[in-house]
Amino acid sequence: MDPEKDKPLPQTSPTSPATTTTTDDNNHDRNATATYDNNNGSSSSEHHPDEKSDQDLPQQNLGDINTEAEPEPHPDPEKADHPGINEQQEAAGDDQVNVQETAPPFSIDLKKVSEEVDQYISTVLSTSKGDESTAPPDVPSFVHQFALLIEAKIVDYESSENPVKWSQLEQEDSTSFLEATLRLSSLSKAISELSSENKHAHFVNRIGGVLQRAMSYIEEEFKSLIEDYRIHDPDHSNSKQHTSSTPNEESDENPPAESAPAEDNNFPGYSEEILSDLLRLSKAMMDGGYEMECCQVYFVARRNALEESLQKFGFEKHSIDDVQKMHWESLEREIGNWIRTFKQCASVHFTGERRLSQALFSDHPLMSENLFCSLSQGVILQLLNFADAVALTKRAAEKLFKFLDLYEALRDILPIIDSLFAEESMTEVKREASMIKGRIGEAMISIFVDLENSIKADSGKTPVPGGAVHPLTRYTMNYLKYACEYKETLEQVFKEHQKIERADSATGSDFNYQSQAAQNPNTNNNNNNNAVVKQSPFQTQITKVMDLLDANIESKSKLYKDHALSSIFMMNNGRYILQKVRGANEINRLMGDSWCRKRSSELRQYHKNYQRETWGRLLSCLHPDGLMNNGKVVKPVLKERFKSFNALFDEIHKTQTSWVVSDEQLQSELRVSISNMVIPAYRSFLGRYSQVFTPGRQTEKYVKYQAEDIETYIDELFDGSAAQMGKRRP
Amino acid sequence: MPATDNQGSFLNRISIRRNQFIPIETCNDQEQENLDLLQRHVADRFADLLYIHSSTTTAAVTNSNSNEHSSATAAATDSPSATHDTHTHPPSPPQLLSISWFRNLLDTYLCCEAEFKAVLVSGRDPSQFSRPPLDRLIPDFLERSIKALDICNAVTHGIDLVQHWQKLAQIALTALNQTPLGEGQVRRARKALNTLLTSMVFDDKENANSNFHGRWTERTRSFGRRVGGGGGNNKDRTGGNFRSLSWSVAKSWSASKQIQTMSANLAAPRGGETTALPVYIMNTIVVFVMWALVAAIPCQERNGLATHFQVPRNLSWAQPIIGLQEKIGEEWKKKEKKGTVGLLDELQRMEKVAHSLVEFADTFVFPMEEEKEAELAAQVAELAEICQKMEEGLGPLQQQVREVFHRIVRSRAEVLDVLDQITKMSAPVPY
Repeated sequence: MDPEKDKPLPQTSPTSPATTTTTDDNNHDRNATATYDNNNGSSSSEHHPDEKSDQDLPQQNLGDINTEAEPEPHPDPEKADHPGINEQQEAAGDDQVNVQETAPPFSIDLKKVSEEVDQYISTVLSTSKGDESTAPPDVPSFVHQFALLIEAKIVDYESSENPVKWSQLEQEDSTSFLEATLRLSSLSKAISELSSENKHAHFVNRIGGVLQRAMSYIEEEFKSLIEDYRIHDPDHSNSKQHTSSTPNEESDENPPAESAPAEDNNFPGYSEEILSDLLRLSKAMMDGGYEMECCQVYFVARRNALEESLQKFGFEKHSIDDVQKMHWESLEREIGNWIRTFKQCASVHFTGERRLSQALFSDHPLMSENLFCSLSQGVILQLLNFADAVALTKRAAEKLFKFLDLYEALRDILPIIDSLFAEESMTEVKREASMIKGRIGEAMISIFVDLENSIKADSGKTPVPGGAVHPLTRYTMNYLKYACEYKETLEQVFKEHQKIERADSATGSDFNYQSQAAQNPNTNNNNNNNAVVKQSPFQTQITKVMDLLDANIESKSKLYKDHALSSIFMMNNGRYILQKVRGANEINRLMGDSWCRKRSSELRQYHKNYQRETWGRLLSCLHPDGLMNNGKVVKPVLKERFKSFNALFDEIHKTQTSWVVSDEQLQSELRVSISNMVIPAYRSFLGRYSQVFTPGRQTEKYVKYQAEDIETYIDELFDGSAAQMGKRRP
Repeated sequence: MPATDNQGSFLNRISIRRNQFIPIETCNDQEQENLDLLQRHVADRFADLLYIHSSTTTAAVTNSNSNEHSSATAAATDSPSATHDTHTHPPSPPQLLSISWFRNLLDTYLCCEAEFKAVLVSGRDPSQFSRPPLDRLIPDFLERSIKALDICNAVTHGIDLVQHWQKLAQIALTALNQTPLGEGQVRRARKALNTLLTSMVFDDKENANSNFHGRWTERTRSFGRRVGGGGGNNKDRTGGNFRSLSWSVAKSWSASKQIQTMSANLAAPRGGETTALPVYIMNTIVVFVMWALVAAIPCQERNGLATHFQVPRNLSWAQPIIGLQEKIGEEWKKKEKKGTVGLLDELQRMEKVAHSLVEFADTFVFPMEEEKEAELAAQVAELAEICQKMEEGLGPLQQQVREVFHRIVRSRAEVLDVLDQITKMSAPVPY
């Protein structure tokens, strides 16, 4: 503790209360006090011997006052007590410990004197109201006595060796102290209203000094209590924290404080006891005209408290510059923390903060609101600053989803915040918030634009071996599928923030939502497919990406020289896209049933193309045309047919086992349909013509495969197992 | 001239430009003209800022071309500075580094910025952005603007802090305005002023030392030497535990370092590079404005600010900026020597008055002598006047700082858009 604590002013101030009561070298006030004490109870001589002005005071007024005050009798014991205390005080000198020991008689005294003072105040007030022309009365000695008592008490409380904290005070003592302070304040007001005469001015000055000391003590105690908040870790390991941080203050004198922790998430972090103390102290400050001090102390302490709790939630302040340079992984983590902190602030902190300010300043709603607003504003702006910094980072496709989280947090939390604050307040914050939301929204839209551009720009000339699903398809579809999980939000983003995209598209991309929407009826008619109602902007966006992907895949399919393989490639990719769309509700609903039907029929078309391309040729070997001449089988032709069938099938088998159809269902569909197409035809061809050959060598030479063999070989197709491929897993 | 239309959408202008594509060669005349105009306006506007000061202080740095510039201002009212011009000729010109001066400075910044953007983009074939020298200058410029954003944020918080100080000063005012002035009120005022001066020490000055923290707690040991003088009169200080508003910026962030990096590699283009010049001009303005803000308003860590920013002396458009920079630099050196609070005129005065009021309080005897009463009245009046200026000016100044912030963000986005269009953003799909 500060060793200077109990010295209110340097020794240079002769009227300093501290010097009055604790030093002997200042006779002025001490003598005065002694005089009062000696004269206490006698109605005639209220003169202050050392203050010359007293002599000017008209006697009859003095008398009036004192007769008014007289009904309150001054019992003899009290009369005796007063000098006693003063002796004690004088004897004690600088030693406050002695003063403390005399506490009990003190409080009895104080009670009596207080009653007298109250009486006096009301008298003075009625006098000054009633008759302004009459000269003001003198100040009776018990009033001086009162000031002295209070001052002694403060000196005691502020003692450097053994300072008395507010929480150590018994309820009774603290109440009487606050009452006394209030009384001082009314006293000072009453007397100043009464007269501005010099003698009174001196007294008002005296009272003012004591009042200031009392207020200063109250302010310090208010401050140390309000700074004594306990912020719980989010993980709720709080009980330990609670006991460890307060061993001194909530000591034996105040046992209930410890047993009533009230830790159920009450954010401001004060126990009931502290809260009620805070309330009493703040009320005292407000009543004593110290509301500005009270506000400042409150504001600084709560701001630090809020700051600390942000930290506890893992929210760290970063400069925009740092965020720019941060690795995405770290930034992702920070975004997570940010969202958590922001939510916590909105749901717990701000409401708690508002409760606190309303509780403490219930008589001053405007002030309470202002404090609450500026505190929250500081926190919100800090939080928004991080979101701002994130929005300013370089755009990248992988950031979309964290941006979405961030956007959703802003979108969901801002209305809560709006509801916490009055309509007209916080306009700045609200403006900033909506701007930042806009920036993140625009960033997300441009990420989508980037995706479009990336797809357009993906023009690799190497075909994927075996006609398998292209990585671009995988990437894009997974991206879209994931994006569609945020469908609602993205719909909103595209609706609210697309103007930039539109402006862009006027010059950059060939896409324009408005014109597209306008053309929609025509487009649909021309394509005579789904009679879609007007598409939502996000739907349009997804469709557009899908179309770009289709176009890209289509052009990639041209890279295959083998048309059949090209069809397989288209089937693979088409299938993948369709499966992805069907596999997730959001994207499925977005694309619609008719889109799926259209895609399916396209797939069937590729399937047919493939079959015709590959197997049509093979089947033509089995065609009966030209085999018969005059009802007889032309054997050389038949031989030729078998030979070419075998060669062709060998070749198909050899090539197409290396092709890849990783979708099991598609693979089996293909095999089944091939079998269905080839095997019955071959079986019947075999049944009809195989007996033409002489059994044995000739049959073995030309009938290389039985129908079962063909089936086995067909089942080996499309597993990507051939030499050129190696093993490729989906 | 499209350059003056700073309200219209920037993107629209680009698209128009694109449609009526003009070969670069024919652009050159127009470009040169725009550039000349930009240079003249920059010189004029900063000359106004300098002149305002010169007329109110004794040591006026008069350089020959500034004279021409200020007379040219009237002729240039068709420029975007039209609104600005009305600002810069108020009845009593603001003191250098005062709140009103900073408001003019930020106005100037916003005007120059708008004009710069027009010159940079609208008169230009966007493809130039991908060719030297712009291909190098633009990223550099964008990097610099990010740092400027951080400074805007720090200054915003700094203004919060100044507002906090203003409130403390107002407590003192309220107390000292009581009549008759009793010792209780004097002590009350002193307590508030001590808190104010302590906060100035902890929240600002000690930040100049390396061991600052995000917040101030329990930092009391060294306190009291400066504030109030002798050791015996600390009583009013806050019970041995000083806490104030924390800095709302990252812990390791340093305003001084930011300024240093911003002004590093700020090289003036050689003679013929007309394309590079506007970027250089704007860079200089940004650094100057940020530097001045940091010097004036409490910011985290401001060591060695005076040496961190120098403008080459041979550029005609930069003369007024150089003049201002010299003056502010001198002030800063004085500040570092004396260890006073930021250069903001109102703050400097507030600190001085606060000190002398604390002194007054230390020797206060009731009743006050008439002579002292007059002395006090003068000081109280000055403090009241400072508080009044702060009350009126800080809010709008803070808003202006935010406006600068948002302007920088917007311009950055617009420039990035242009870059995207040129490079067609062909970032490969990351599969």
